[in-house]
Amino acid sequence: MSMVAYQNLTRWVLLGVLALMLLGGRLAFAGQSPAEVGAMLKAMADPAGAPFYPVVMQILQVITWALHIVFVWTSIGGLFYAIYGFTRKDPNHQRLAKAMLELSKVSVSLAIVLGVAPLLFYQVIYDSLWYASANLSASWYMMFIVFLLIGYYLIWGAYFTKNRPQLATFFSIGGVIFLLAVGFLIHVVNYQALYPEKWVEWYTSGGTTMNHTGWNIYAFNIFRYLAFLVFPSISVTGVFMMLYAWYFGKRPEFERDYVNFSAKLGAKLALMGGAGWIVFHVLYIFSVPADWNAKGSIFAWLSVLGLLLCAGVIFIAQKNPIGMAIPSLVAGTVATLLIAVFREYLRVSSTARFGYSIYEYKVNLEWLSPMLFVGTTLTGLILYAYTWWMAYRAGRTPKGEVYQANETEDALGNASVFIVTLWAVVFIGTGLIIIARNYL
Amino acid sequence: MDVLGFQPMWYVPAIGSATVIAVIATIHVMASHTSVGASILLAYLATKAYRENIPQLYDYIKKYLLTLLVFSYVSGSISGPGIWFSATVANPRGISALIHNFVWVWAAEWIWFVAEVTLVYILFYTLGRIDQKSWLKLAWIFAIGSWATMYIIVGILSFMLSPGHEKWFTTGNILDAFYNKNYFPHLLMRSAYMFAIAGTIGIVIASLMRKDIPEKVYKDIVRTMSYWGIGGLVFGTMFFGWYFSTLPERSLVMLAGIVPTWYYGLIFGILLILLAHFVLTSIKPTAARAYIALPIYALIFFMGVYPEEKIRETIRKPYVAGEFVWVNQIIARDVPAKDIKSEVDIINEKGYLQVNAFVPEGLKTITPENKIMAGKAIAILQCSGCHNVTGASGLRPFAKKFEGMDSEDMVYGFLSNYLTPQAHPPYMPYFVGKDEELRALSAYIADMISKGGRVSAKIEVPKATLEAHK
Repeated sequence: MSMVAYQNLTRWVLLGVLALMLLGGRLAFAGQSPAEVGAMLKAMADPAGAPFYPVVMQILQVITWALHIVFVWTSIGGLFYAIYGFTRKDPNHQRLAKAMLELSKVSVSLAIVLGVAPLLFYQVIYDSLWYASANLSASWYMMFIVFLLIGYYLIWGAYFTKNRPQLATFFSIGGVIFLLAVGFLIHVVNYQALYPEKWVEWYTSGGTTMNHTGWNIYAFNIFRYLAFLVFPSISVTGVFMMLYAWYFGKRPEFERDYVNFSAKLGAKLALMGGAGWIVFHVLYIFSVPADWNAKGSIFAWLSVLGLLLCAGVIFIAQKNPIGMAIPSLVAGTVATLLIAVFREYLRVSSTARFGYSIYEYKVNLEWLSPMLFVGTTLTGLILYAYTWWMAYRAGRTPKGEVYQANETEDALGNASVFIVTLWAVVFIGTGLIIIARNYL
Repeated sequence: MDVLGFQPMWYVPAIGSATVIAVIATIHVMASHTSVGASILLAYLATKAYRENIPQLYDYIKKYLLTLLVFSYVSGSISGPGIWFSATVANPRGISALIHNFVWVWAAEWIWFVAEVTLVYILFYTLGRIDQKSWLKLAWIFAIGSWATMYIIVGILSFMLSPGHEKWFTTGNILDAFYNKNYFPHLLMRSAYMFAIAGTIGIVIASLMRKDIPEKVYKDIVRTMSYWGIGGLVFGTMFFGWYFSTLPERSLVMLAGIVPTWYYGLIFGILLILLAHFVLTSIKPTAARAYIALPIYALIFFMGVYPEEKIRETIRKPYVAGEFVWVNQIIARDVPAKDIKSEVDIINEKGYLQVNAFVPEGLKTITPENKIMAGKAIAILQCSGCHNVTGASGLRPFAKKFEGMDSEDMVYGFLSNYLTPQAHPPYMPYFVGKDEELRALSAYIADMISKGGRVSAKIEVPKATLEAHK
């Protein structure tokens, strides 16, 4: 390509970027006054108030979102790679494609179940954002469920046909398209939520109607979509490949050649995906409207710093990807948490423009149900420790052998059965006491 | 601007948003009851396999786990958030009321969800790879943990119907709301019936594996499924009776008056079919066939769970949550414990269209030009939770309810006598809003009837009104 052609291409790309940035948030509708939007946001908060300090909900939301999104990334990234790997003749690619398909399959389950918690905490303190935005695109919001179901069954289709690469590729492509559509829809809902000043304008098409069919999509930001979903999927799945090599590499049936191949490829993908992740993350920060002060916010730049740190570790990991698998995981976790915090900053600053603060949310303090949560969490942690540890042990046991639990593991197992039974007894017992008190 | 906390409205013509929730909820109940029931059945079988040293039982357990993973867990884990999502868009203030009261309880349930989903994979992948005793422990943790999700959700479902005890409104004590009078019968009823649901699928799987396992083991499996199924049906039906006896007065009136009799016919029909099938397979396990058991499982969806979900939805009316949020999203009474105020007076004073931020400005003040459109907006906002307000088919359609009433005065005369605080039927809220809004609603209905009972759902602010606003 000639120099002129390059220059033209660059110009058009930059123009495109600029156009998207404008669409991404600079163009605002003239509508309600900030005071009206503030009054609306306050009115839309549930009159029951939050049953606990909002900041606690906020912290839990950030942590659980980080957990959820990692598995969203591996479900999409696993499929991305599976599609590529299945089309390669090389047996290493074929084998790794199957493993990544497996990762994707399990990840969808985990992403779904882990995703419940951040939504729960989010809508207790940001209910107006959640409900209004979802209802603006209500029919698409229901399609989220339909697409997820179809996507997940396509992944199972790929799993059952994994020994017929062509068919598996076909199913994987279908699966990833649906998962990306699901990601698109949740992105739209979360993005629309950040613009309360436009909700009424959008819903009434400037005061001319009521868009109650729910088939409208009002806002999309390509940078945000790429930065929060597409590129991290590649990068994080790369780190999972490194972990895969680190974990299964100890088993005799995993040949050195294959293990090294997986780890090296993982490190490479982590770096390549990470580069795109950083670029689009920064572009997204620049596309946030000026009055949110994202560019001047410490949280925005901490999230960039987290990504750079992660990229640094992964860069070092290129030479020894197996040895660096755990440090890469740690760096990735830090970066993900910082991104979760940044997302939260966006909500705070978007609503602060209208004098709305979750820290002023009406609180109806109540102690009994948080106690139930804490008690259940402690019970759960013991169970998780035991069950996940046994899974870890079983996974490291060579094929054909049976892992024999040691004494400590036996004791932990007994404690787990005991504590889960105790939980049920306490739960039912409390119920019997209350019923007796209130109705007998 | 003086607004109340209404959200943008989602209107689904004909079938209604309530049906969307009901369909998703039915899928979820099928999937979740299958998996919770199966978790206990499988833990029992694993105990038997371990104690009596029957390794072939593990083959069956593994197949059942895979079936659960592919069908129950995929559709169950997606339809669970699906109920939540559909309630969010169909009834935002109802689900919000539940979440704001029970967020920690739901969070506790989430701890069990995570345990349940991770364990079903762990059980599947570790079978035959760790010692049997450890695997058995995992199986029992899975069983009790799965069941725990039901312990929790039943309390929230009970509250949805009614806070149970009047004192909750003044104390706000979560325990009073959660452990409702019908908590235990409801829990026991679901727990018993889930064995019948899981047992039916158990028979499907066993019959498909018949050639792969020794005859004695095969018969043992089918009999186990059948006995648990029969027990579940007998006890479930007893608890069903007990559950009915603990329902609030209002719900009993609706059960007697407006729940169609054929719903009961369907439910008792499926119970009899299930019982007959289990009795047959327990006497002659070799008669079990997938092509018989699988359609029976599908029938549970249509004849058992769907009518049950619809009945639950109906007897909750006119509320959607806790006897203080109406199905049309208006908060109908004070809850002093939470400092929640009824919105009825303020809406009567200011007008319903005025207090909803998502009504276009041009419809907020009623004029001769916009009257019919304003009326349609009210119909969609206040009535479409239970009615098809633009047609003659589907969910309690307006065209049938108002047949022949093609003049505004006629409809107004009817509504102004019918939907009052004194005369409104127990399953419907009374009308809230200004008199001119009731007139606009009447004008819309009369217009719709005079046009043949079917109009477009689109709302258009008349040009003249738009111009006036500019």
